[in-house]
Amino acid sequence: MPSITFTQPDGTAQRLEVEQGTTLMRAAVSNGIDGIVGECGGQAMCATCHVYIRPEYADALPELGADEDEMLDCTAAERTERSRLGCQISTGASLPEIIVDIPAGQV
Amino acid sequence: MSANTARCPMGHGTTELPEQAESRPTHVGGVQHSGAKEVPVVNWLQPAQLLADPYGSYARLRTEAPVAWVPMLNKFLVTSYAGCHEIEQDQSIFNANVSGSTMNRAIGAHPMLRKDDPEHATDRLAVNPVLRPKNIKEAWAEVFARNADIYLDELEDVGPDNADLNRDYAAPLAAKNLGDLVGLKDVDVQTVRTWSHDFIAGIGNVLDDPEIWRRCEASTEQADALINELIPHYQLHPNASMLSAWANSGLPDANIAANVKLSISGGMNEPQHMVTNIVWALSNHPDQREQVLADPTGWTAVFDEAVRWLSPIGMYPRETTVDTVLEGVRIPAGSGIAVVVAAANHDPAQFGENAEDFDISRPKKSHLAFGAGVHLCAGHWAAKSAIGQIAVPKAYERFPGLRIEESRPGQWAGWVFRGLTSLPVTWN
Repeated sequence: MPSITFTQPDGTAQRLEVEQGTTLMRAAVSNGIDGIVGECGGQAMCATCHVYIRPEYADALPELGADEDEMLDCTAAERTERSRLGCQISTGASLPEIIVDIPAGQV
Repeated sequence: MSANTARCPMGHGTTELPEQAESRPTHVGGVQHSGAKEVPVVNWLQPAQLLADPYGSYARLRTEAPVAWVPMLNKFLVTSYAGCHEIEQDQSIFNANVSGSTMNRAIGAHPMLRKDDPEHATDRLAVNPVLRPKNIKEAWAEVFARNADIYLDELEDVGPDNADLNRDYAAPLAAKNLGDLVGLKDVDVQTVRTWSHDFIAGIGNVLDDPEIWRRCEASTEQADALINELIPHYQLHPNASMLSAWANSGLPDANIAANVKLSISGGMNEPQHMVTNIVWALSNHPDQREQVLADPTGWTAVFDEAVRWLSPIGMYPRETTVDTVLEGVRIPAGSGIAVVVAAANHDPAQFGENAEDFDISRPKKSHLAFGAGVHLCAGHWAAKSAIGQIAVPKAYERFPGLRIEESRPGQWAGWVFRGLTSLPVTWN
C-alpha cells in the first residue's frame, strides 16, 4: 500500500498506509491529521490542504495545475517552491510513498 | 512565477498566527460516551424563541445534547462543531439528496446542492472557475464596486434621518450583484428579488402553504423562460458569468436551469444579510470599528468573524443512508439531520471560552458559515470580495460615523436563515 508521512511543524511525524489513488488531503482528513482542513472537499476552491513537499519527491508529482496555482496564492502560511494542495496529489504507482510538511496554519 | 511575491486577490495570505492544535474538551452533561447511547430527545425548543434569537437554545443544546432528536422538527439536530464537521466529511453516509426536498419543489428542479458526487461534481466543477478568487477579482470586483456606488448614492439621497441600510443599500445591491454575476443580463433588480424571495419561501415552506407553492411556480416559469433564452445567447457570446460557464459546459439545459435557480435562491439573502450584520456588529463594538477603520487590512478578519458570529445560513439538511453513530448517538438510516452550523460556530470546543463574543482579533480557526466539504458555498470568494472587501468598506468611506440609529430599532428574524429585515442607520 502507498504510504504518506505527515510531519507537523513541531517535528512530530505520522505515517499512514492508504489505498491507491487516495489524495493527501483525503488521507489526512479521514485520519484526523491535525493541520489539514480540506474545507472544499477537494475541488481546489479553497487553500486549506496546503502542504510542503519534501524535495526528493518533487519529480514524482503531477504538474501544478492552473486552478491549484491560483489557489496557492491564498494559503494562510507562506507559499514556497515546495507548496502544493494536498487534494491535487494522489498516491499510486508513480508515487508509492511521500513525506510532506504541514504548515503552521491553514485559515 | 515567484512563489513568495504572489498575493491572494481576496486579501487572504500569509499570517503570523499559527493554528494551535487543540484537543477537544470532554462534553459536560453526560452526553459524550465512548459507546453509542440512547438518543437524547429534546421537547423544550420553542419555535418563537428560535425565530427571535436562537443562540440561547443553541448553547443549551450544545451543552446538554449536541446530537438530539427533536420531534417538533422530525429531525436530529446537530449543534456541536465536531458533529457538524463530521457530517460534512462523508457524503456517502450523510446525503445531501434528502427526501421530500422543499428546495427541489420550490425551484421545480434538482440542483447540485441536493445531489451527491459524482452527479454533484458534474454540475459544480463547471462553474468553479468563475468563482475562484482570480476571476472574481479580474472580472467582477469592478462591477461590484460600481454597483456599490449606485446604491450608496441612493442611500445618501434618503439621508441620515431616514436611511435603512437593509432597504436602501444591502437588499438592492445584493440583488444587482447577483443578477450580474449569474448573468441574468437585463433582468431588473426587483424581479431578481421577487424570484429569490419566492424560492426561499418555498425552501422554508415546511408547513406546505399552497400560496407559497403557487408563487414558486410562477417565478420558476418566468426564470425558466429567461434561462432558456440565455443559454444559446451565452453559447454565442460567452462572458465571465456563471450562466455563461454552465451554457458552455455541455451540461443538459435542465441541469443549467436548476443550478441557475439555485444560485438565485442562495446568492441574495446571505450577502445582503452580511452587509447589515457587519455594520450591526461594528456599531455594537466601536473599539473594533475604530481598529478596522484605522487599518483597512482588517476587513478580511471583520468579514470572517462576522460570518462566524452571525451566520446567515443557520441550518441545512442532510439525510442518513445507513445506520450510523454520530458523537456517540445512534442514528438510524433514513433519518433527517439538521446541521445547525450557526450553533457549531459558537462552540467553545472549537472557538474557546469567548466563542459567543464578536472578536476580530481571535485566533484564526475554521468555521462552518459557508458549509464544508464538496458543498462548501460556491460563492464564498464572491461574497468575501463583494461584501467584505467592497460593499461594507465603501459604505464607511462614504459615510463617516456610519452606525445603527438607536432611536429606530432594527429587526432580526429567522433561524434557518437569519438576518436583519431592517437596520436603520445614521452618519455624521
